[in-house]
Amino acid sequence: MRDAADPFADAADAVLLQAFAAGDRQAAAVLTARHLPQVLGQATRMLGNRAEAEDVAQDAMMRLWQTAPDWRDEAQVGTWLYRVVANLCIDRLRKRRRGVPLDTVDDPADEAPSVTARMQTQARMRALSDALAELPDRQAQAVALRHLEGLANPEIARIMDISVRSVESLTARGKRALQALMAGRKAELGYGDDGPE
Amino acid sequence: MVMTDPNDDMLEALFAEARGASVAPDDALTARVLADAARVQAAGWARPEVPQPGLWQRFLDMIGGWPALGGLATATVAGFWIGVAPPTSVSDLTASLIGDEVSLSPLGLQDDLFFTDAEGQSDG
Repeated sequence: MRDAADPFADAADAVLLQAFAAGDRQAAAVLTARHLPQVLGQATRMLGNRAEAEDVAQDAMMRLWQTAPDWRDEAQVGTWLYRVVANLCIDRLRKRRRGVPLDTVDDPADEAPSVTARMQTQARMRALSDALAELPDRQAQAVALRHLEGLANPEIARIMDISVRSVESLTARGKRALQALMAGRKAELGYGDDGPE
Repeated sequence: MVMTDPNDDMLEALFAEARGASVAPDDALTARVLADAARVQAAGWARPEVPQPGLWQRFLDMIGGWPALGGLATATVAGFWIGVAPPTSVSDLTASLIGDEVSLSPLGLQDDLFFTDAEGQSDG
């Protein structure tokens, strides 16, 4: 239940986690409202599949709840969640690489005229995710954080616990590898000369 | 003039499309996440996963558990005792191997300090 006069509305994440660990349920609602959209978005962009992304998002938030009593004040929840979600997605992409079958494109929820366009978008996102699955884990992680999440290299370095130079190297190599993997699929993915149709 | 790679253009377009897609959690997912939170709170952080073994447990695992530790303790005590009060056969063996009897104090001190009797103090 969310309250407009929520006393936690402006509280720092670390304070909310302390309150949650002390048994306050409202703190969980505020943390969920604050971080779940980002968590789900990151998972969806990496996996190209909504159902799987929801599983990852739920799993990542569960890990946040479990770690609440041990949370260090100086740690950033957003950075921590980026790392957890990236790792969980990489695990799933690795299984995909090994040929474990996954759900394909989600079923359309309705028969609106935009269904075809939406399915093509989903197919493009799934193709991008499948190409990410072919990259070495660290490259896939760096490319996703840089180009799908739009994060700056120093932040990616913090998330991946590596140097900025390593981030630059991983993203450059990863992007080149992605280009090679996606080469020649322009028409198939519905990209005309003027971009997506 | 800079030539652009058509594959690069496509990739950039894909990235932009992915970043621009609106992804919002629905009520069902939010409810599942909050139910997890309530469950974790109710359980009082009784971690479901197996805890990491401590240093002592890892040491026990390394040597083979409690039985091995018992054997190790017995061997240590026996070895120490043989060092303090070697049976004649051991003394003979060391004498034959080394050529002489060797006496070592386990504490690195002169045994006189610990094993002297009342008469031994008459040296001073």
